[in-house]
Amino acid sequence: MLAAVRSELTRLRQPRFLITWFGLMALFTVLVNTIMITFVSGGGNLPPGAPGVAFPTLAEMESPSGLMAGLAAASNMFGIVTLSFWAVATATDYSSGLVRLLVAAEPRRWRLLAGKIGALLVVTAAATTVAALVNVFAAMPAAGAAGISTAAWGTDLIGVVGGAWVHLFLALCAWGVLGLVIAVLTRSAAVAISIGVGYVLVFESLIKMAKDVPSDWLLGTTLGAVASGGTAAVSFGTALALALGYVTLGLLLAGAVFIRRDVTD
Amino acid sequence: MSVVVTTDLTRRFGTVTALDRLTVEVPGAGVIGLVGPNGSGKSTLIRILLGLIRPTGGNATVLGSAISSPRDYASRVGVLIESPAFIPGLSARSNLVSLAHLRRLPLERVDAVLAQVGLVGRDREPVRRFSLGMKQRLGIAAALLSDPELLILDEPTNGLDPAGIVEVRELLRDLGREGRTVIVSSHQLSEIEAVCDHLVIIRFGELIFSGPMAEVMKRTREHIDIAAEHAADTGRLESALVAGGWSVTQADAVLRVAAGADRAADLNRAAAAAGVTLSRLVVAQDNLEEIFLEMTGRVDGELADGRAATDATVA
Repeated sequence: MLAAVRSELTRLRQPRFLITWFGLMALFTVLVNTIMITFVSGGGNLPPGAPGVAFPTLAEMESPSGLMAGLAAASNMFGIVTLSFWAVATATDYSSGLVRLLVAAEPRRWRLLAGKIGALLVVTAAATTVAALVNVFAAMPAAGAAGISTAAWGTDLIGVVGGAWVHLFLALCAWGVLGLVIAVLTRSAAVAISIGVGYVLVFESLIKMAKDVPSDWLLGTTLGAVASGGTAAVSFGTALALALGYVTLGLLLAGAVFIRRDVTD
Repeated sequence: MSVVVTTDLTRRFGTVTALDRLTVEVPGAGVIGLVGPNGSGKSTLIRILLGLIRPTGGNATVLGSAISSPRDYASRVGVLIESPAFIPGLSARSNLVSLAHLRRLPLERVDAVLAQVGLVGRDREPVRRFSLGMKQRLGIAAALLSDPELLILDEPTNGLDPAGIVEVRELLRDLGREGRTVIVSSHQLSEIEAVCDHLVIIRFGELIFSGPMAEVMKRTREHIDIAAEHAADTGRLESALVAGGWSVTQADAVLRVAAGADRAADLNRAAAAAGVTLSRLVVAQDNLEEIFLEMTGRVDGELADGRAATDATVA
């Protein structure tokens, strides 16, 4: 399987692809930190059910974990970015016809799928690192300018940054797998991205707004909870287990389709 | 030893039968032409042999292994399926390196195949800058990467300029002489005629012919192409010849008469008797294209008459 991972990593090493992915991660980190800190310092509150956003309170911002609060706040945006790039990397194999060559060279299709996932996990780890580093450098000046105390931010720095990295990485892996699953099913990056974005921004928001419907189990909420290391509504363990369930189901579906389906592209 | 053996191989797509109990043996070593009209099932056959799609019925072996287990022969088979498929943002070299990793091959093979197809010097450019011909060469390089015993090439000269076509023709001949088996699926019958030792013709998913090229070429017949000195006389000449019992077909200003060299003088006299002076009288031999059309039907439209028109979209 290592051969399939190396092969996929070589294909992912496209400067334009990686720069765009990492650039978007950095851009959203800066944007969300700036907006979040301005919002929190001004005492603002978001309307309930706002899509993909979970801003901390001022007290939380001034705690040691406040340094990395931007990552959790932007997690669903990062999720959509990650979903999109996983979908593009997967669907390109179909649109370019490369899937024919790959399956002819490695008929054990599960290896191809596992190799792609392995390679995308490596790039996702790098993208998470980019976001975490940019967050550290963006949050400090933004908080200082907004008058938020950063005195506690140096406490257990490695633990806080490492924890935030792990939480975000786990959430992004699940987002990415979702993108891969939809791309395998639809064989189209555009359709996969549309479904992903439409789900988070429209479908899940509508469900959240319907007060009688419990929303803790929803994908975006669950992965947001994973990225935050747990929320008041969903513990980290519950969210992680639920996310694992989503990922397992998705992979079983994608695997069955990819292995069984005729390669006619 | 036969490199490919199919027995009653069948594949249906809904109500359309792309392969209809195809039974054929492809001999090892040399260049084998796989030809047939559009929708004849060539691509379906290739995809089944490569494990890309599964047959509805029947069975087949490739290099002695059942197609139900393509992993047993995948490393010994190189393929170029339809258009070359690569990541456009990656260099030619990176695209090949990626495939070399997947096949667990040493990276020296990348240099070797780049040299073999004449892409050294351009190999670090992104594939998106490549012309169709260069992409085709890269596709052939990818097929050669594992130094395979069996090469399956679908339209390998597609997009190549005349010099490129000659190069690929030489390459195919060399590969065949080296003891490999090269299966070439192509619409360019002149190419097939020029390089192939053996021919497999299928139509509507059924085998029409399988045998040495020499055997096919035995079916060639002589014909005589004639042209009237004045184009206005062509119709009158044709009528006179038909009335005289000659078998005539017209293509623009040239009349093709089904007759051998021994009838050339009679033909000339018949034209003179009709009061037409000939500006051209050429005795020629049918080529593979003419034999192929004779065996499979003349044009796609004609082929579709007898079968569901959707057949043409299958393969």
